[in-house]
Amino acid sequence: MAEDHTGESPTAVPKPNSIPSGDNSVWADLSPLIKASSQDLQEGELIHGDNFNLFAAMSAVEIMDPKMDSGIVSTYYSLDEAIENGAAPVPISADKTTDVLCTIDIMDHLLACEATWHKGHSLAQTVYSCLYLLQPERTSSHALLHSYCKVTRATCNAVLSVVSDTRTHEEEDLFTMTYDLPLSEDRDERCLSMLNAVEETISRQLRACKVSSSKRRVSEDIETLQSNPDLEEGYCKALLCRLRFRKHFYHLLMSMKRPQGRGLELARKHIASCIVEIDHIRKSSEFLRASAQEMSKQNIDNTTASGCQPIGFDASLNSRLSAPTPPRAIKILCWEKALDYFLKLLQDLDIICSYSLDPSLEAAFLFVVKFQKSHPDLVSRAHLQLLLVQDGKLYGRDPIFSVITKAAGLPEATKNHDIQKNQFMVQLGQLVINLLKILCTNSAWQRRKLGKMLQDWRVTCVQLELAFKEFVEASNSPRTENVCFKIFQHTLAWVEEQTYWIASRFLILGFELELYTVHDYCMVYWYIYVVLIKLCEKKNLRMAMSIGAAKKKAKKKKDSLKDSGMDYQIPAAVLFLQSQMYLAEGLSMMLAALRNEHKVVPPQSPFNTEHEIFIQQFELLQKACLPDRISYMSFKESTVHANFSTLPMYDYFKEAQRIAKEVKSSFANDPDKMAELRRIEQVAEHNSIALNVICRVGAHDPSLNISFTFCHHPFFATAIVKRS
Amino acid sequence: METLTKEIEKVEINASEIEYVTYGGEHHLPLIMNLVDQELSEPYSIFTYRYFVYLWPQLSFLAFHKGKCVGTVVCKMGEHRNTFRGYIAMLVVINSYRGKGIATELVTRSIKMMMESGCEEVTLEAEVTNKGALALYSRLGFIRAKRLFHYYLNGVDAFRLKLLFPRLELHHLSDAPLEE
Repeated sequence: MAEDHTGESPTAVPKPNSIPSGDNSVWADLSPLIKASSQDLQEGELIHGDNFNLFAAMSAVEIMDPKMDSGIVSTYYSLDEAIENGAAPVPISADKTTDVLCTIDIMDHLLACEATWHKGHSLAQTVYSCLYLLQPERTSSHALLHSYCKVTRATCNAVLSVVSDTRTHEEEDLFTMTYDLPLSEDRDERCLSMLNAVEETISRQLRACKVSSSKRRVSEDIETLQSNPDLEEGYCKALLCRLRFRKHFYHLLMSMKRPQGRGLELARKHIASCIVEIDHIRKSSEFLRASAQEMSKQNIDNTTASGCQPIGFDASLNSRLSAPTPPRAIKILCWEKALDYFLKLLQDLDIICSYSLDPSLEAAFLFVVKFQKSHPDLVSRAHLQLLLVQDGKLYGRDPIFSVITKAAGLPEATKNHDIQKNQFMVQLGQLVINLLKILCTNSAWQRRKLGKMLQDWRVTCVQLELAFKEFVEASNSPRTENVCFKIFQHTLAWVEEQTYWIASRFLILGFELELYTVHDYCMVYWYIYVVLIKLCEKKNLRMAMSIGAAKKKAKKKKDSLKDSGMDYQIPAAVLFLQSQMYLAEGLSMMLAALRNEHKVVPPQSPFNTEHEIFIQQFELLQKACLPDRISYMSFKESTVHANFSTLPMYDYFKEAQRIAKEVKSSFANDPDKMAELRRIEQVAEHNSIALNVICRVGAHDPSLNISFTFCHHPFFATAIVKRS
Repeated sequence: METLTKEIEKVEINASEIEYVTYGGEHHLPLIMNLVDQELSEPYSIFTYRYFVYLWPQLSFLAFHKGKCVGTVVCKMGEHRNTFRGYIAMLVVINSYRGKGIATELVTRSIKMMMESGCEEVTLEAEVTNKGALALYSRLGFIRAKRLFHYYLNGVDAFRLKLLFPRLELHHLSDAPLEE
């Protein structure tokens, strides 16, 4: 800070309401000091303190610059001022027909705002840009608008609590920012009773207008929705589908929140109803557009079915009221896109609700991985996580230790064994829960978390192994008969297998996120190949153990004399992985040969070499020693001699294709595995042909053009060979 | 932060006509700000610019063509989780001058300075849609270390790019036997 030129003591007399001093701090009035020093500073100049970092510099806003200070472009200074100026009138219009149309516009725009919020924007800039929502009591005289606002608030609250409870929002942090928005008032279920009453009234109005139009007389006993009899039916219908959508959507969220997936079946019914209502909402657009022709302002962003600008929204007001609102104005999704969003959300939720809550952990992992393939958004992913992990149990039902023993192929009787209190077993349980949660996050976040997690799994492996050794040394009883021995042995094998599964997922996600360029493919496929070797090995070991255990049991029962060890075959699940492993090896060798024969020339950086690229690409795997003794050297050794004169001698692609074909019969009842095997066959076949063409023509032929696509498989590339 | 480079041929110029200078003081600041304001999507306050050019003037460069500023690079370096790391904050070449290697030259100068100053690695973020910048950095040895979901205010994802400098002892030990 600058020196105090005035000589005044800046801490002269503390004001009576100044902040009391703490243990390590004394609060003082700095105004005179700042006033004095400000003369030394020119506009835009900066005093750099040690704690003024990049974040501080970037968070600084230039006041009055509309690019940064979004408050400057707002129309009103406060909500009261906006309301006084008639920005959100109640009723919206004295003319009942106009009032109904305007209410529908508000509903539509709110839905578009809600979808935009779900897509990762702040609540303050989306749903709560609605002035009617900001002061809940103001709408109470307008039953229709009031009930809709109430249920919208309650819905936002429900969604918000799921997303914050599951902590899925860490990846999209704007989502849960709520500050002092009036959200919590509508926690009660009363929003539904009000909504039902309004729905009931409008249904009666609809029935009445149908009767009256057929009999050509005005029904006296029921007050009509609005004043134009020709439009009565259309407006009633347009309102009913919107109200019903809200009702079912709220019910659906409540059902999904029920513990242990008990509400899933009911939720599916509400999902089906929501989808029907969305269709009705979509179809109401034609009527609304026709009846709104003479309406005033056109809605350039198309956030309403009628095409009219909605009344009562001001996104800039919140950026003035609550400081941490992101500075930029955002674009609200158009009405059509909002409906598409909700439809996708409902379909994704339906997939979750139709899940069988399979007690097998592997099935749960595979379900999540498959679910993620359709790129579900935050809200559905949060709901999936809520279902998977509740109270530290799988589906809130199965204790993690019992799930692990099951996954490790241990007999049912071990699931309550005291060994679960062992600190490493507890730690493992936590890792499994974390893994389930991480698998539910978006791919970008997921990959980062999986990468970091690898180290933890590896450490747990080592710790379990040590604990196992200590146990064996201390134990006197015959090994094979000891339950603890068995639990340690099986769990360890399972943990190792799981660690390599995470490693493979980490590598594979890099393709989805487009983290690899064509010059990285060679080393990436090679690394996938070495990870898959270990995964096959560990899976095989673990499965052999379980089969061995099961056979021994059977042997005891039947008192059979046959030896169980003789007829052991490689399990189909391992063969399945082997087909992928050969494909990865084939691709890495083909790419290495292309590089060795100068057909694909990687960029020559002036700053580093392939070695640094390797270190960076696989840093997290290397740190966790996955696999052991794998380094850039081993990559170089196995690829440096690859060339097209020797490659066809051992065709990895043919091998992959052969295994995939053979193992198909074992997965006849598993459509996902069948589809994957078909893809593997396709890629393997194409690449095998490509390899032969290159060998026949010669890699050095300048007319030969080789490129790679992902047309047959999301992460195994297909080589395309062309002659120019 | 972001970088923008697109390979479009527009102005007929000779590479030797481009003059590169290190950030030289206040008179360069408006030139940098104008370029960045014009070409990049993120709004930066004057404090952000000052933060960089006052603390690391030796890492910022400007490219001039016949007295007109046509490109600039703004960087920093410092400790980051126990590594001394360089960071490329902004890289801009005006549209009509793209595709002439100006961006490559600017950024290469900065990276060289970082290397000489003892940096172990260099990082930056670029929009996933910015093919030009991604290709440029890939040629310089950067990898895409992470994808950052909805990183920019405009909702676009970013890649975190990283360039690791060789550690001398590492190369002596492991690369030597493989040299053919």
